[in-house]
Amino acid sequence: MKKIFLAAAFSLVASATLAQHNHGADNDDGAMMDHAQGHNHEATDVVALEPAPASALEAAEAAGGELIVVDVLGVVCDFCAVAMNKTFAKRSEVAATRVDLDDKTLKIVTRPGQTLADAEIEKLVKSAGYRTRAIRRGDAANEARAPIDETR
Amino acid sequence: MTRNSRVAVTTACAVVVLVGTGAVARPVSYAGGWTAIEQTDRQATMALVHYSPTPTYSIGLRIDWDRRDDILFVGPQATWLAKRWFGEDYQANVYLFGAAGAAKGVGDNDGEARAAVLGGVMADWETRRLFVSYRAHGFEAGDLDATFMQAARVGFAPYVANTGALHTWLMIEIDHRPDNPEPIGVTPLVRFFKGPALFEAGWSVTDDRPLVNFTYRF
Repeated sequence: MKKIFLAAAFSLVASATLAQHNHGADNDDGAMMDHAQGHNHEATDVVALEPAPASALEAAEAAGGELIVVDVLGVVCDFCAVAMNKTFAKRSEVAATRVDLDDKTLKIVTRPGQTLADAEIEKLVKSAGYRTRAIRRGDAANEARAPIDETR
Repeated sequence: MTRNSRVAVTTACAVVVLVGTGAVARPVSYAGGWTAIEQTDRQATMALVHYSPTPTYSIGLRIDWDRRDDILFVGPQATWLAKRWFGEDYQANVYLFGAAGAAKGVGDNDGEARAAVLGGVMADWETRRLFVSYRAHGFEAGDLDATFMQAARVGFAPYVANTGALHTWLMIEIDHRPDNPEPIGVTPLVRFFKGPALFEAGWSVTDDRPLVNFTYRF
């Protein structure tokens, strides 16, 4: 029983590590190819009111929604992503959201003609359990996250 | 000093130490979030379903089954996020929790039902690559049972995965249960984490028993 359990665990870890290695290589290609428009991660990166395809964020932006990029502190795991996606998905102004652990950002696209004020975004991030470092809109939304000022 | 006093003092000391050093765990969700947790280690099985009205506390129903002593505890639990540290690449938390309810003997234990309380602390510090945690709790059920346990864990992610991908961790947990014939337990485990689901499987090399934990965040 013990040997079977350990063998199964080892196999699962090895498979996951190998699969992620290949996935990571794919991601690097995508990031290099189209980095200015954001990372092209897999479908599970995108969560709106219902499970959405990977293009949901881009589609919502193309439909006239505003892209807002929120730099978030303390985002280290998928539970953080679930919390923020679920919290923002409750808002009628929000068309799609995506949390990117690599960028440490929450990307929000609003419905056409609607927006979310910075104060409201900060409040929602806080109710998800996290803290906002910066909110970027317009051209700044597509810029890379600035390094943190450790002296603050 | 009575046994109950020792438990109280030890728990208080753990809280003081941990508040001074930082930590993180996930017994409190986002505002409006539900979470279901199952934990089975070498001695006990616990189930907890909780709801978080705010991101700083949760309330839920806890069921504990001490398989070694054949004692079942059922009661509501409140968990308070005492402190959270946010960093560019890390998160750390300290949680305090308490439960009050009823406990009774089951199986070979014919102990009658009586009021029982449980209290403790959980703390952890986590990056996307490293994980450290500590938890301790004391349980008091009059002449039926009174126990204390504490456990520390360190973990390492062999690769760093982005949102929605399968996250894998290799961990080792050391637990201390003064009342157990094997008071120090060592349990290597693997953690798989994807979206709202977290699954852990391990094996106590101390007394050849499995560890199976599952958490789902709604």
